[in-house]
Amino acid sequence: MTGRTIVITSGKGGVGKTTATANIGSALAMRGNKVVVIDTDIGLRNLDVIMGLENRIVYDLVNVLEGKCEPHKAMIRDKHGYELYLIPAAQTRDKDCINPEQLRELCAKLETEFDYVLMDCPAGIEQGFKNAVGAATEAILVTTPEVSAIRDADRVIGLLEASELHRPRLIINRIHPDMVKQGNMMDKDDIVELLAVDVLGLVPADDRTITAANRGVPVVHDKKAPSGAAFLRIAARVDGEEVQFAELDRKAGMVGKIKELLGLDRRAYSHA
Amino acid sequence: MLDLFRWLLGQLDTANGQERSKDTARQRLSVVLIQDRLDLPAEKMDLMKQEIWEVVSRYLVVDDEFLEFEIRRLDELVVLVSNIQVKDTTELAPAH
Repeated sequence: MTGRTIVITSGKGGVGKTTATANIGSALAMRGNKVVVIDTDIGLRNLDVIMGLENRIVYDLVNVLEGKCEPHKAMIRDKHGYELYLIPAAQTRDKDCINPEQLRELCAKLETEFDYVLMDCPAGIEQGFKNAVGAATEAILVTTPEVSAIRDADRVIGLLEASELHRPRLIINRIHPDMVKQGNMMDKDDIVELLAVDVLGLVPADDRTITAANRGVPVVHDKKAPSGAAFLRIAARVDGEEVQFAELDRKAGMVGKIKELLGLDRRAYSHA
Repeated sequence: MLDLFRWLLGQLDTANGQERSKDTARQRLSVVLIQDRLDLPAEKMDLMKQEIWEVVSRYLVVDDEFLEFEIRRLDELVVLVSNIQVKDTTELAPAH
């Protein structure tokens, strides 16, 4: 087996990297793939709590890289019965205790056994970022439709290029369709024009993502969640399936505006 | 009345009649991303534009109203695209 090692990165913190990693990993596993997700945010581990596996940790990534245990001993199997495993980050160490070569070596080993190796990258562009990016062969970039996140995403695109990770694919997270409609939030086309990258998926802002995180169950398991559906489509695209983008209803047009004026607007949106 | 018309065309924020904030965001970002990509501050960028325009206008009659600069990313390359409109090809530029 020759698996794919993908880093999920953003530059800016708090845009949803960990949520994206947990959900894409879960969705890929639900599609029948064998998946391992690695939390590379050493010192600030979070992927375990998002996946609800925090009470099962015995060994961590640093133990594996230091040769204290076999990769399999550190892997925690997901609760939902799929072939999905987590290698958690160490919580009491720092990012400088590992290097990209060690991590690449581990990923190469895992690629022989798994279809997908997903790495949740730390925020920032320092050592932790370099470790994860240096070990990956593909990159997924997460941003939100905000000026700060987009600026950082652009910077990261440049750094990924420098690291031979060409054409990262973009996830635009936390889109508010009503704000897009009012012209108060940048849409897919605006962001694509600015960043000049391919879009992998659009995820609407969704309260259910928060309740899912509270419960430690990735939102792809919530059949009613629009954000979960978006992540399922994203995973399908990662897996090579062509899934159409359902356009966000962004311009109502003249008739829509008049309807809105008269209170006849039904505010039905679709999400991509 | 004009604002109502612009609102119908989707150019104005429905709530308060201001310019749509996403247009401001896009505009600000397009400038800041160029500066970041080139590591070139705004004033130096302006100076470069001015000098390029001066060089071209030594040889061609150019429209000083129409001068565009854009920084694009083409895979691993960052390219500077300059768009200068030549006014009249039959008219010769000042002697050089």
